Amino acid sequence: MNERVIPWQPTVIAGPKQALLVTPETAEMMIVKAKRPLIVVGPLINDNPAQVLVSKIAEKWNIPIVSTGDAFKSLTEAGVPSKSYGLVEIVNLLKDPEWKGVSGEGNHDLVLFIGVIYYMGSQGLSTLKHFAPHVKTLTLCKFFHSNADASFPNMKDEEWLKYLEMLAKVD
Amino acid sequence: MENKSKAKELKDDFWKSKKLLVTTGKIADDIQGDSSESKGPTLKPSVTDLREWDMKLLKRYTPFYAPFCDMCCLCTYGKCDLTGGKKGACGIDIEAQQARIVLLACCIGSAAHGGHARHLLEYLIAEKGEDFPIDMGTNIDIEAPIMRVVIGKKPRNLGDLKEALDYLEEQMVHLLSACHTGQEGKSIDFESKALHAGLMDDLGKEIGDLAQIAALSMPKGEDAPLVELGLGTINQEKPVILCIGHNVAPGASIIDYLEDHGLDDDVEVCGICCAAIDITRYKPGAKVIGPLSKQLKFIRSGVADVVVVDEQCVRTDVLEEARKNKAAVIATTDKICLGLPDLTGVNTDKIVKKLVNDEIEGALILDPDKVGEVSTRVARQIAEERKSLKKLPDLQEIQEMAKECTECGWCVRVCPNNQPMMEAVTGAAEGDFSKFIELYKYDVCYTCGRCEQECEVNLPLISMLTKVGEHYVKDEKFNIRAGRGPVQDVEIRRVGAPIVLGDIPGVIAFVGCSNYPEGGEDVAKMAEEFLERNYIVVTSGCGAMSVGEYRDGDGKTLYEKYSGDFDAKGLVNVGSCVSNAHIPGACIKIANIFAKKPLEGNFEEIADYILNRVGACGVAWGAYSQKAAAIATGVNRWGIPVVVGPHGTKYRRLFLGRADKPENWKINDLRTGEVVQGEPAPEHLLYAAENREEATVMIAKLCIRQTDTPKGRQIKLNHYLDLHKKYFGILPEDVYKFVRNEKDIPITYKKEVINILEEVGWEPRALPQEPSLMKFREEKASDKGDSK
Repeated sequence: MNERVIPWQPTVIAGPKQALLVTPETAEMMIVKAKRPLIVVGPLINDNPAQVLVSKIAEKWNIPIVSTGDAFKSLTEAGVPSKSYGLVEIVNLLKDPEWKGVSGEGNHDLVLFIGVIYYMGSQGLSTLKHFAPHVKTLTLCKFFHSNADASFPNMKDEEWLKYLEMLAKVD
Repeated sequence: MENKSKAKELKDDFWKSKKLLVTTGKIADDIQGDSSESKGPTLKPSVTDLREWDMKLLKRYTPFYAPFCDMCCLCTYGKCDLTGGKKGACGIDIEAQQARIVLLACCIGSAAHGGHARHLLEYLIAEKGEDFPIDMGTNIDIEAPIMRVVIGKKPRNLGDLKEALDYLEEQMVHLLSACHTGQEGKSIDFESKALHAGLMDDLGKEIGDLAQIAALSMPKGEDAPLVELGLGTINQEKPVILCIGHNVAPGASIIDYLEDHGLDDDVEVCGICCAAIDITRYKPGAKVIGPLSKQLKFIRSGVADVVVVDEQCVRTDVLEEARKNKAAVIATTDKICLGLPDLTGVNTDKIVKKLVNDEIEGALILDPDKVGEVSTRVARQIAEERKSLKKLPDLQEIQEMAKECTECGWCVRVCPNNQPMMEAVTGAAEGDFSKFIELYKYDVCYTCGRCEQECEVNLPLISMLTKVGEHYVKDEKFNIRAGRGPVQDVEIRRVGAPIVLGDIPGVIAFVGCSNYPEGGEDVAKMAEEFLERNYIVVTSGCGAMSVGEYRDGDGKTLYEKYSGDFDAKGLVNVGSCVSNAHIPGACIKIANIFAKKPLEGNFEEIADYILNRVGACGVAWGAYSQKAAAIATGVNRWGIPVVVGPHGTKYRRLFLGRADKPENWKINDLRTGEVVQGEPAPEHLLYAAENREEATVMIAKLCIRQTDTPKGRQIKLNHYLDLHKKYFGILPEDVYKFVRNEKDIPITYKKEVINILEEVGWEPRALPQEPSLMKFREEKASDKGDSK
């Protein structure tokens, strides 16, 4: 099996439904197609070059950012505005189709995750996979997330940052 | 003893009666066993008797499911794929299946404590007799708050505990049976049953701890001594006996044997996990190696000559691991037999001979007294020969091993926390052991051993870590305050009011296991943060040990720095896993002693009081076991919120509130008879945080209660705002939800908070005088009328 699509922590495999492996191009198509995308940023990319790239991705498509854990402080210091929620809180809100979303305009139809603790993120993605058919999930981590709808593969830092740069690049 | 007789007719000057049933004995028992308080409606509640209360909780704190597995594989119809709204062959859906697994976990956890209590009680009754009194001393009248509420009786002797245990066991059979295919079908009812399993867990723990406190003269809520903690406390020149698990009986018998034979100074007795805590409660001279996370490290170190295992949380490969360095293993309970020959009935000399001569790998000995003698004699006889096995290998040897690493990276991928084991190994290959040391300290690597299982060149990674760690930090010594058991009634009289009114900002209990995302230091830092802020901090089990393994800037452990009083700035180690019962126990006592709520059969009123008024919060940062699931679920039913670490999401279910929905927080004011707008306090009942920073802020928030006085609310909000600012850089946006009127605003943050209030168009609101989830009296009366 291609090592790039074995879940980073291999035992998070939950069943027959696996994420679609995506390239930056496919990820871009998903974002373009979405009406109300959202980016969820966790603390694993605090003070990481990926943080700047995520802010560029958000800026490029005007996507609001939710920060989890203590990522809010690090993002704020980097000049990136976000709204702070616990990971389980934001997932709980996302699974409610009636929730109005972080901008109050309606729930989000695509959520991009990056920087959340892997196994906890996997659990949150599982919640959305099962209980939020109205939300598509896409993970931008350097780890393959089998519980997402779509995921980047397992990568080393250098390739991962290139993926993010491609996604952030303004045409 | 109950005697019944029927009189066809009874006439005298005072009364007339026909078909009179006279019961004697039972009434006398009840009077003897009761206080004068009237009994509530739920004595010995059945599986469904508290369902109405559960539904109230579950309506506000909706179960949040995070499936760990998409399928059900419990019956031969399956596996069934439950994705995409599909139901299994039996009709179960993914929500109900998750809740079913939660119930199963809570049943397993509760059964572990109940089984432990049964073992202990039968042993102690055999040793001391059924009439052995439960005397908790002059400072404790409510010796068994959980049992008083649930069973409705005051236990006066060991024999009295049997009735509660019989009831518990009956309930457990019903609960476990509900997990069978084709039984319960709705997630919400699985959850109600899980809450019942949690309550049975509370009861089992209380029975177990009460029995051992009374019969083994453990501390009864008084200040307990500091005891030694850490690998450096062990004198390796002496024979070493290691106890692992939770049941104190074998460890106590070892200590007794040593004392009886004048060998106390000749043999080291130490423990890992709760067995360690309980043997030091029995005799402070015993030593605590540390939490569960030390298990494989310490066995691999070869220091222990004899390893005695009892029950719960023992590595299932303990025999294989211990045999690697020729330690003898003695299994002591029916829960863990390890395939060893049962030598309980065999002559002690013969067992010792077989073990010393290595004729057998170990022995199953189900008689604690015999364990005491055999383990001591074996340790003394094999220690000399094993001395070479305790020596540390040269670091050069480890460096050579490290050079074999292929840098495949799988050790990191299979690590539960993706800790950088590969980096540690590649560093060691270059003679740099710093990464190994980082993993070793505070048990950042908790030595589960999954990395070794995966290593393609079979490097003994845990042994390498152990040996590197020992070279650098083997002499580290810490301390822990021995478990003191219950909170005394006199303490509750002193702190009941300040807790309920908010002057003491909260009671925070760090409990549970050592499945920490970043090591045990996080637990200690959280404890320190709240101690400095005047909270009461309670510890138990592995959490208590992790707190003890940390030194502050002055080089003191937190147990040295803070008193063991149940008061502001007190650091109270209640004891082992079973001692966790004293945490809801203290909350129940507040409801009874401070608010005069009757106990017997009065679960709902007590839990409602705790939920709305007692600012307590549990923290199970490293929760991993089914017992921890039962513990958290148990205290949740009493209305106590719990924060778990990120691994806690793998329990599959949390209880989350929705602060954005004001309608969810409407509350009955029983004083005025009006439904009023309450506040999201506590906001969640079971919450998983991603890291320490998030957890710390959430814990402070979860201590807010509806009945805080303005002064109390100011204090609590001040800490919440302070911590939020510290870890998030700004004040929390949701502060307006907890400001009822301007008197609630902390002075330090007045200007900033007022700005936030103005931004959101905040309006002051009235404080409910008697906030409750319970029905108004008229509604209850009407319900009773309907049922007639």
